[in-house]
Amino acid sequence: MKSSFHINIKMALIACLAVLAPALVAKAQDSRIQMGSLDHLAVKASQTVDVNIDERLMRMAARVFSDKKEDEREVKQLIANLKGIYVRSFEFETDGQFAAADVEAIRTQLRGPGWTRLVNVTSKKEGMLEVYLLFNAEQIGGLAVLHTDDRELTVVNIVGPVDLDKLAKLEGQLGVPELGIESPKPKAKNDEK
Amino acid sequence: MNDDYLWDKTGQPDPEIQKLEEILGALRYQPKPLVIPRRRNYFALMAIAASVLLAVAAGTIWLRVRSRDEAPKQQAKVVVVEEAARPAPPVNKSAGNQSPVVANNRRRKGSASSAVDRQEALKAKEQLMLALRVTSQKLHLVHTKTE
Repeated sequence: MKSSFHINIKMALIACLAVLAPALVAKAQDSRIQMGSLDHLAVKASQTVDVNIDERLMRMAARVFSDKKEDEREVKQLIANLKGIYVRSFEFETDGQFAAADVEAIRTQLRGPGWTRLVNVTSKKEGMLEVYLLFNAEQIGGLAVLHTDDRELTVVNIVGPVDLDKLAKLEGQLGVPELGIESPKPKAKNDEK
Repeated sequence: MNDDYLWDKTGQPDPEIQKLEEILGALRYQPKPLVIPRRRNYFALMAIAASVLLAVAAGTIWLRVRSRDEAPKQQAKVVVVEEAARPAPPVNKSAGNQSPVVANNRRRKGSASSAVDRQEALKAKEQLMLALRVTSQKLHLVHTKTE
C-alpha cells in the first residue's frame, strides 16, 4: 500500500512537471527584458528616452509605413516579424548618477538561458557597449544592447527575430527628426569644463 | 443388494453407482479461500487530474497577473529636460517644444475611431523610428569600435 502511495505521488509530480515545463521553458526563452528597475533614474536624468512598443503598436505603426518610399519599406520589412521594441536611455549632467546595481539588474537577465553576449566593447571615450542575442534554436529570437558610460545608461531590447544587417543599415536613412540623442558627448563634456 | 453404500459408503458398492460416482466426482465441491474482487483504485488518476488542473489554474492566474501588471504600461514617450545654460542641440526642431510625446495603447470606439487610430499609429511610428534610430546608433558605434 505504501509503495502504491509513493507511485501515485511520483505520477502526480511527473504530471505537474509535464504541464509546467513548457511554460517554464517559454518563460526562460522570453527575450523581453524587465527594465522597471531603472525607472528611478528618470528624475536624475537630463534626458530620458522611454519607448515601449508592443506587438499591437508595432502592427499599428507598420500600417502607416509607405511602401513607395524605400527607407520606409525597409523599416516595414525589418519590423514585420518583431514582437516589441523597448528602449530606456538616460543621460545625466554629472558622473555617477546611476549605480552598478542598476546595470547589474539588466545584465543578470542577459545571463539567462538562451542569451549570448556577441560583442563587448570597452573604451574610455564611449564607455562599455555590450550586444546580446537570444537564440531560439538557430534563429535570433531577440536582441539587447547595453551601453553605459559615466553619464549615460542605455538599454535597447528588441523582441523577435532581428535582421542585424538591415538594422545597422538604417543609420542615417530613417528620415526622422533629430531628437538630440546624437549630440556629441565628449565635446559637451569639454564645454562644461 | 445392500443400499448402505448410498447412505454411508458401507457395504458392497454397485458398479454402476461407482461409475457414476467417478464421472460426477469431477464436479465435487472443492474447498477454496473466499476471494472478494477488489474495487479499482482510481486514486492515481484522480491525483494526476487534480495536479494537472491545479497547475493549469496556477498558470492561468500567473499569466493574468503578469499581463495585468505589464499591459497598462504600453506607452512610448520621450522627455527632454534642457537647462537654460546648456547649449541647444544642433538640430532639434520637431522636439523643440519639449513636451512629452506619448503614444497611448488604448482602443477607441465610435465613428472617429479610424482617425484616432491613425493618429495613434503615426505616434507609434514616430516612437518606433526613434527606437530604431537609438538601436541603429548603438550598433553603429559597436561596429565602429570593433573595426
